[in-house]
Amino acid sequence: MLKATLRSFLAHKGRLALSALAVILSVAFVAGSLIFSDTVTRTFDRLFASTAADVTVQPKQDLRSARLSGTVQTLPAALRDRVATVDGVAAARAEVSVQNAFVVDRHNKSVGPTTGAPTIVTAWHVTHHSPVRITSGRAPLGPGEALLDADTADRKHVRTGDPLTVQAQPGTFRVRVVGIATFTTTNPGAALVYLDPAVAGRELLGSSAKATSVTADAAAGVSDAELERRIGAALGTRTYDVKTAAEQAKSAAATLGTFLDVIKYVMLGFAGVALLVGVFLIVNTFSMLIAQRTRELGLLRALGADRRQVRRSVLTEALLLGLVGSTLGLAAGTGLAYGLIRLMSAFGMNLKATEMVIGWGTPVAAYVVGLGVTFVAAYLPSRRAAAVSPMAALADAEVAGVGRPLTVRAIAGAVVAAAGAAALAGCAAATRTAQAASLLGAGVALTLIGTVVAGPLLVRPVIQVLGGAFPALFGPVGRMSQRNALRNPRRTGATAAALMVGLALVSGMSVASASMSASFDRQIDRTLGADFVVQNANFMPFTRQIADRVTATPGAGLVVRQRLTPVAVRLPDGRRVRTTAAGYGPGLDDVAHLTYARGGSAAALADGHLALDADWARDHRVRLGSVLPVEFPGGGRAELTVGALTDQESAEGFGTQGGIFFGLATLEKYVPDGQDSALYVNAAPGTGAADLRPRLERALTAFPQVQVRDQADYKELVHDQIAVLLYLVYALLGLAIVIAVLGVVNTLALSVVERTREIGLLRAIGLARRQLRRMIRLESVVIAVFGAVLGLALGLVWGLCMQQVLALRGLTALAIPWGTIVVVMIGSAVVGVVAALLPALRASRMNVLAAIAHE
Amino acid sequence: MRCAGSPVSLTLAPGRAVQATGEAVLSTPAAQHVSGRTPDGGIAARARGLTKAYGSGETAVLALDAVDVDIARGRFTAVMGPSGSGKSTLMHCLAGLDTVSAGQVWLGETEITGLRERELTRLRRDRIGFMFQSFNLIPTLTAAENITLPMDIAGRRPDPRWLDRVVDALGLRDRLGHRPAQLSGGQQQRVACARALASRPELIFADEPTGNLDSRAGLEVLGFLREAVDDLGQSVVMVTHDPGAAAHSDLVLFLADGRIEDELPGPTAEAVLERMKRFEVVRRPSGDGLGGQEG
Repeated sequence: MLKATLRSFLAHKGRLALSALAVILSVAFVAGSLIFSDTVTRTFDRLFASTAADVTVQPKQDLRSARLSGTVQTLPAALRDRVATVDGVAAARAEVSVQNAFVVDRHNKSVGPTTGAPTIVTAWHVTHHSPVRITSGRAPLGPGEALLDADTADRKHVRTGDPLTVQAQPGTFRVRVVGIATFTTTNPGAALVYLDPAVAGRELLGSSAKATSVTADAAAGVSDAELERRIGAALGTRTYDVKTAAEQAKSAAATLGTFLDVIKYVMLGFAGVALLVGVFLIVNTFSMLIAQRTRELGLLRALGADRRQVRRSVLTEALLLGLVGSTLGLAAGTGLAYGLIRLMSAFGMNLKATEMVIGWGTPVAAYVVGLGVTFVAAYLPSRRAAAVSPMAALADAEVAGVGRPLTVRAIAGAVVAAAGAAALAGCAAATRTAQAASLLGAGVALTLIGTVVAGPLLVRPVIQVLGGAFPALFGPVGRMSQRNALRNPRRTGATAAALMVGLALVSGMSVASASMSASFDRQIDRTLGADFVVQNANFMPFTRQIADRVTATPGAGLVVRQRLTPVAVRLPDGRRVRTTAAGYGPGLDDVAHLTYARGGSAAALADGHLALDADWARDHRVRLGSVLPVEFPGGGRAELTVGALTDQESAEGFGTQGGIFFGLATLEKYVPDGQDSALYVNAAPGTGAADLRPRLERALTAFPQVQVRDQADYKELVHDQIAVLLYLVYALLGLAIVIAVLGVVNTLALSVVERTREIGLLRAIGLARRQLRRMIRLESVVIAVFGAVLGLALGLVWGLCMQQVLALRGLTALAIPWGTIVVVMIGSAVVGVVAALLPALRASRMNVLAAIAHE
Repeated sequence: MRCAGSPVSLTLAPGRAVQATGEAVLSTPAAQHVSGRTPDGGIAARARGLTKAYGSGETAVLALDAVDVDIARGRFTAVMGPSGSGKSTLMHCLAGLDTVSAGQVWLGETEITGLRERELTRLRRDRIGFMFQSFNLIPTLTAAENITLPMDIAGRRPDPRWLDRVVDALGLRDRLGHRPAQLSGGQQQRVACARALASRPELIFADEPTGNLDSRAGLEVLGFLREAVDDLGQSVVMVTHDPGAAAHSDLVLFLADGRIEDELPGPTAEAVLERMKRFEVVRRPSGDGLGGQEG
């Protein structure tokens, strides 16, 4: 039996090629993402472990995302002396390192990375932990001198002797590049500017008595952990975080890890899509091979093979396919990881591809995925093969008829789809976000499964409509292609399902994102009253000098500053909520149209008061006049009175809870060294907005980190942010389509083989090659469009439900991207044409006589 | 590969292998013997020096060996011969389904050797009707759609009066909406017969049309072919190995070893059987037949 299985596998290797490709793709993405993340993790673990000092002392960090407020948490530089006196410390240094400075070159262009990696301005210390060494020039000495890292210098064409402008929190200063420092380890992608330690504190923190951390080297014979304990005992761990090199490396890696996790999850998402779509392809291939081999299987049964042997034979064949696919996929995944690593270096992250790490988990995962998917996909076809009766060997069977009735499918599909529809309906009716989201998830999964299962039942009605015009448009060729698509609904359904899955996901996401854009538009229209917003593209804070510059611009009237800070609020219901709060300068009502349920802007911005979202307040039993304890970064604590409750459509954008805001004065009191995150600017009376804009832009030429935006630009910015999400979805779609095309090619190619005699007959009685090709092309198009129609319909329903969930978060607008839908429909027809290219060519090249004689 | 029209040099080696030599020698034992000449109705199809070889060099096998044949218009011609005699190959070459190695073939006044693939397809579609032994119909199309398929492909409208006549003659009136799977084998062959007749082709080729039928259904189909010739004025060439079937024709051509060995006008089953026996005897000493190229 094994010999027969092997022979069969080898005999059908051509027909299994596309299935193998689907396995290879899924395995490649799984293996690639694992290899990539292993490599990156290993590299950075090594980097951070080698660059961290034996022991690091930092201010206690309670509230994360200090980056949002633009503040730097400091400790007294004098702490270094206390650390130095601890027994076992060989050397101690006060470090100054900030990420809230902005550095521009002489053309007012940023020298920072464009990838979102930070620009770090820091003091130059030479220790054995230094990740860089000077490769040209010399160390910076006194004010006005700096070193720049070599990668940044290369990328931004900065040479020794060039001037740079550093916009630091205390003020802007100019430096000359006196040397270039090159990474001896992996460069994680940041831009580094080094200053003389003697001046760094004053220039970057406003006082040479401040530092951002103190590092200590252990004396010989003292372990890091022991030194950590001693320093902790000397300084007290209530005010300071004391960490060993290993702990420091871990937390640094964790910060970077979130970014790497994104890449990993994206890759796994691709793997998931490839798997999901690949399963359909494999199921179809095996079903068709078994249909074509019915007589052969019948003969095996007649010769005495029992059902289990037949089933096992098919499953063994599938496992062989999985084995081959996994092995090739593993190799392809290694290549993919290599490519990704090279790509990362294009973004400034210099990982050495030669140090690629392939952990034992990678091949295990690859084979589990590859073998698992083929096994699962081949299971049903194998049962069908086992069900072939020995009589099939004797019957003069015509190949692949309509197959068994679809009753079981109809019932199962309808039940699952109904459950899914109920979940979606529940989601649409839900009033709480968490509940709605989980119902949405369940509904999406169930309706997807239901549609896949019941898909073959939809083939007849839908294709009769879709291809209804074919006979009129394309004559007998059109009629035959339509009927061919209807011939085996199970097969057509499974082929189209691959495309359906991808398109459903994408159309659902695009409805959600279009609705988000529309909601934000509406919100911006309603609330933004300012002529201009001066802001970063990534909503990051910027130096206060910009506000001064804007205020001083002739024709600028009211300028309202917005500043953000992380806060922790203790609520009456006992919960401590960490969120982001905003501080606004006076005149808020002139630049924004806020609606209040209780109170008003004056009460909200008054000293010692705050405002929050009315719905959120109600949920947490906060009332007007409640006094809330609020914690600020750096240890500031305040008791703020609720002065107003807002009734906004949405709680101030995403990622913030409660929509808390207060007066800028209140914020400055507790977070004194913050930076602005937005400026709302109105033209002065008598100055037109159109006149003000060029003046503002001219005034801000030295500050490339901010842009002047009017309402339309601001909407555009928000749209772009949402679009990033969509690009990812489109990339997933691309992969899904590639595999779906493979599926259509596969089905058509096998169908062509199956219908060899029929094609021969058609050619004999005068069907031209061109007409034959068109017939196959039309069949392919109708299958693809069928998949697209189902996918879009499903996706629209999902999108509507997603929008309902978003509406609970205040994003009430519904927008259906008809343009995208039309493009997808046309695209799916193109997909059909492309998929038919090879099978059609093959069919038209068939020798007429050989085809007629084909058994 | 088409080499018709150009002089091909073939020398027959004893083992029936073909070798290309520099000499233009055509070994054609039946060269002077032009079969099936019936001057009254004219010629529907004609072949001269029709040679078909499979393979090349030492292993080449001759399926047709310089056959000259005229197929009379308005007559029912049967081609008989043992397995491997080349009768199906002859039909395929006459019908423009297969390429020839040497020689010329005409359909009416059109020389089809030398036509390109596209022209051949059009010729088959517009001027020739086909019936095969089995698998004659497109399973997705109804009987009516199958019958008009060649004309539909050509974009021509069938002549409704003629179509009615054909459908009625074959008794298919109440079967027109059925799919092939819903028809019996005999009914399927009748639909195939109707398709072959529907476009009123110059020549109908039937390749063992009764091979898969029981005797009653077979007789029915043969009767229809006979009627098509007698009543509808069609020309039919039928390949068969069944003497009973051949007896329905006006003229039987006997093929053996790629050559037309004999012909029998106004055949009866007994006479045909008698001739066939003679061939078996004649043929036996010449060793095994030709390769399995028979359709």
